Amino acid sequence: MGVFENKFQDNVVVASLDKLLGWARSTSPWFFQFGLACCAIEMMATAASRHDLMRIGMLPRSSPRQADVMIVAGTVTLKMALRVKKLYEQMANPKYVISMGSCATSGGPYWQHGYHVLKGVDLVVPVDVYVPGCPPRPEALIEGLLKLQEKIQSERPLTRKTA
Amino acid sequence: MTDNLEQLIKEAVEKALEGDMDAINNIEDRVTRSKAKAALVKAKREAAKEKSEASSDEGSDPPPDSKKIKTSNENIAEKLIQQFPDDINKDLSSETNIQIQPKNWLDIAKYLRDDPACLFDSLQCITGVDLGEESDLEVRYNLHSMTHLHAIEIRISCPRNNCKVPSIESIWRIGDWFERETYDMYGIEFEGHSDLTRILLPEDWEGWPLRKDYDVQETYHGIIVPKVKEGWE
Repeated sequence: MGVFENKFQDNVVVASLDKLLGWARSTSPWFFQFGLACCAIEMMATAASRHDLMRIGMLPRSSPRQADVMIVAGTVTLKMALRVKKLYEQMANPKYVISMGSCATSGGPYWQHGYHVLKGVDLVVPVDVYVPGCPPRPEALIEGLLKLQEKIQSERPLTRKTA
Repeated sequence: MTDNLEQLIKEAVEKALEGDMDAINNIEDRVTRSKAKAALVKAKREAAKEKSEASSDEGSDPPPDSKKIKTSNENIAEKLIQQFPDDINKDLSSETNIQIQPKNWLDIAKYLRDDPACLFDSLQCITGVDLGEESDLEVRYNLHSMTHLHAIEIRISCPRNNCKVPSIESIWRIGDWFERETYDMYGIEFEGHSDLTRILLPEDWEGWPLRKDYDVQETYHGIIVPKVKEGWE
């Protein structure tokens, strides 16, 4: 800070643009609300007043175009897998995916005999954070969302990647 | 102290037996209240026992043979045998179900719905059953009458590789989706159905999942469906 010290007025903050973008993105990741099974109930509970996702800047959007994060909450059947993929493709960049619960992560209880269940949503879309649980409690989902925020914050969108 | 409590419980139970449950409900101590309730149950049970003993002593007549009372399945089966003698499998039908041939099923269904003694106005369920890889498929219909409050089960079996059963969609409207579901899971074809397509699974699904010889497809639109899961775990 040494160079800039006392050069600006009191309410001016100096930051690198990269970090500023990371901060701005990570503190308002709006999520795409679609629930596939019982995990959706926990997701709703997380967004509702007791756990209040608005505290960490998240709010549900009903359209993939307006969302940054897709929370895959529940059992992804093969029929739904194609739709999940389509919805992911409809989201604008930068976009992130949270796999919530054991069904979305690995097929869960349908691992062995569920002929119709996708064995992990990461077969269809790239997943950033896996939240274990059946279903995960709201605290667990919030933990996952905070981990995602850390990940977004550590990104440097303007820095040129060198090999 | 304990004598007092016992006295209290006794009085409360006596009042409750006369129909005044407030006597027990108003006891403030939880333990005493539950003791009183237990005592009440005991007292009632003893009373019932005494009553049944007394009644069995009085009436020396043997109780009516309950096995002779026919089930609604047997009653309806008799009617159907009169009306459609060739379509009922008498040997296979039992007190829990009626086995029929698929050929005239539509007429039988119409009869079951409209005959004043049957009046089965509610089709409650259609189930498909796979009786094993070497044997037939079976469709089961659970019918219930809101007027007579009786219920029957109809069973129709058909060969595995050419399973065709007349559709009863036109008789019970709910049969539409029931039949589509059974078709979806077992591949049983319901002839005369207006739109016999898959109802739960995607349209391009291969095979009939609830059949015993179902083989899980290896990929679905390029998505791998692992059969052997060792490498995955």
